Amino acid sequence: MKTNRSKTWLHSLPLLGLLYGCQVLAAEPTLCGPTGAAPASGTPILVGAIVGKTGPDDFSSAAAAARAYFKCVNANGGIGGRPIEYVIEDDKWNPETAAQAASKLVKDRKVVALVGSGSFIEMSVNAKLYEEEKVISMASACAVRECFEARNIATTNQGPLPSNLGAVQWSVRKQGSKRVACIGLNIPSNGVWSCDAVNDWLKQQGLEGVSVVFDPAAADFTGVILEAMAANPDTILLNLPAGAGLGVLKAAQEQDLRDQYKWIAATPLYDSKIPAALGDYWDGHLAVQIELTRLDGQGPDAKRWRALMAKYGVGDSRASNRIDTFSQAGFVSANIFVETLRKLDPNQIDRASVSEALRGVKDYHTDLLCAPWTFGTGNKHMANHAGMMVQVKDLGYGDLEGCFEVEIPAIYRQVESGQGA
Amino acid sequence: MNSYLIFLLAGLAIGSIYALSGVGLVMLYRATGVLNLAYGAIGAAAALISWQLDQWGGFTPLCWLAGIAVAGLISLGYGLLISPRLEHREPVIKAMATLGVLLILLGLLYSLWPANPRRLNLPSDAIAFNMMGVRLTLTRLLAFITTLLLTAAITLFLARTRIGLLMRALASHRQLSAIVGIRVIRIEVLAWSISGVMAGISGILLGALVRLDAGALTFLVIPALAAAIIGGLQSLALTLAAGLLIGVVESLCTLLPTLSSYRSATPFILAVLAIFWLQRNNRLLFASHQ
Repeated sequence: MKTNRSKTWLHSLPLLGLLYGCQVLAAEPTLCGPTGAAPASGTPILVGAIVGKTGPDDFSSAAAAARAYFKCVNANGGIGGRPIEYVIEDDKWNPETAAQAASKLVKDRKVVALVGSGSFIEMSVNAKLYEEEKVISMASACAVRECFEARNIATTNQGPLPSNLGAVQWSVRKQGSKRVACIGLNIPSNGVWSCDAVNDWLKQQGLEGVSVVFDPAAADFTGVILEAMAANPDTILLNLPAGAGLGVLKAAQEQDLRDQYKWIAATPLYDSKIPAALGDYWDGHLAVQIELTRLDGQGPDAKRWRALMAKYGVGDSRASNRIDTFSQAGFVSANIFVETLRKLDPNQIDRASVSEALRGVKDYHTDLLCAPWTFGTGNKHMANHAGMMVQVKDLGYGDLEGCFEVEIPAIYRQVESGQGA
Repeated sequence: MNSYLIFLLAGLAIGSIYALSGVGLVMLYRATGVLNLAYGAIGAAAALISWQLDQWGGFTPLCWLAGIAVAGLISLGYGLLISPRLEHREPVIKAMATLGVLLILLGLLYSLWPANPRRLNLPSDAIAFNMMGVRLTLTRLLAFITTLLLTAAITLFLARTRIGLLMRALASHRQLSAIVGIRVIRIEVLAWSISGVMAGISGILLGALVRLDAGALTFLVIPALAAAIIGGLQSLALTLAAGLLIGVVESLCTLLPTLSSYRSATPFILAVLAIFWLQRNNRLLFASHQ
């Protein structure tokens, strides 16, 4: 009898072990998918990214978030035991360097995909190469037209066109804007392109839009603001990087123009450092469209992103580890990529299978994005086209409107996302 | 009329800092024969250091003084350690060496203060006057007055003081000055220090008026260089006028839609015109008279 009892106890051991294992798995925070496995040690899966780090602005925080994500994946068993080897190249805002970096990653090292790229230059230079080499770039920080008009690139950030259109559409709807001056940089594929799109949309609504574009090297922002005033608008849209945006707002403050216009801006002015830099004068007077959800969002993925950056982002340079919109977008790109790879046979992961799988990503849901994300099968991809509105308030940002779809030009709409065209 | 006046005043404020920077460059060139391309980067360092100290809770006027002092020290360091070693090289080599300093300083500033949104606020930004219907902040007025005063002070210093006389002697003939017993290095180091302090003042004013970004401030040396070239690298009064002219033309171009997008080319265009004008009577056959 005693023997039987001990045997029964022995039989229950595996069950207990399984229960314990389940408990461990359930208790562990899942920052990057299933946890508990030993660190990955198989054949590495090579993944690349090209970022504009050294230069007028730092576009590397998306790749830093992707790197943190892949560190987490590798520490927890990788993709079926295979670690992700992530190689980030700096294009230094130089087209030649960008081309060399792509050639090195795509042709020499034969990466299976690019994830988390962020650049002002890279996509314009390398889009053709990616198509020829049949490699997909799951970018995270696109800022120029060419990035959205390439067959093999899709990004998780919105870029200037939807962000500015979103701000204007909100302002027309909620503030009754009728004539908008769009202040942007005189760069054809950035400021000119996105301000033109705003003007076209306003014209379709029977309203008016005027572009005020200036050279990025321009010294005096008072001239810019006065040029915008000369257009006699009721709303001024800031389609500018944060530094230039601050300069224009300071010039407007000098002229005490705050109450004469409605002030709206695209995402670059959504940054934790902006409200303090602006000061009390603009409190409650500047509405900003944001491309992803709030940086302090309380959704599960928003919490997971911040926890992951705190745990795996440590040790990198402070500039790259900014908790900003591009970092969110980098996390989303890496998350989509890893989830896509986990559906593949780990031994069959190569460029062809990864490209096919990424191209097939459809209706990916995350609380970091306002709407499901679809890669799309067309030659143009504007996959992130829904955002929120916030306003500068109490040295931070207050909510103005939750997630809403931006009406983007027909040529960028995806058939498969149900938007028509 | 009113819009012209607004642009004129806005242009005068920025132009006055181009002029101030130009005067600093010319003063240094006359005393040392060096065209300091790192002038803007030194100013950027002053602006960013002032901002950082202010962020750390320092007493604001002391923060500016510290920024200006660091600018003076960087310039002094160059004048003391590097410039004497290039004394006998061609002017272009001397200028290229300062280009190296520009690149080092720019890299250092970018790594210490990466591209983050920041704003340098001076107390004078909050005080504004209405001048003939145009709103003008005290900072803009101060920029203009500082430039006029400093240019006058430097002119008097060069004309009336013994050290000024020695600097002019160096400018006329360096080797002869050394032979007659002028301590060339000492005078040069003084010129480097004064020029550094002027770069620091310009940097802080531009940081407040334009934007607090290492790259933008560094390359604002270009309009200052244009002003100095229009002044023939000799005349302080002409450099002052040229700086103001560049600022005003650049600003007024905003009113012309066809030229508006190209207004940042103003310094180059005016400098090229000045070069043509200044050498209008020179005939270059096989080599210049130099």
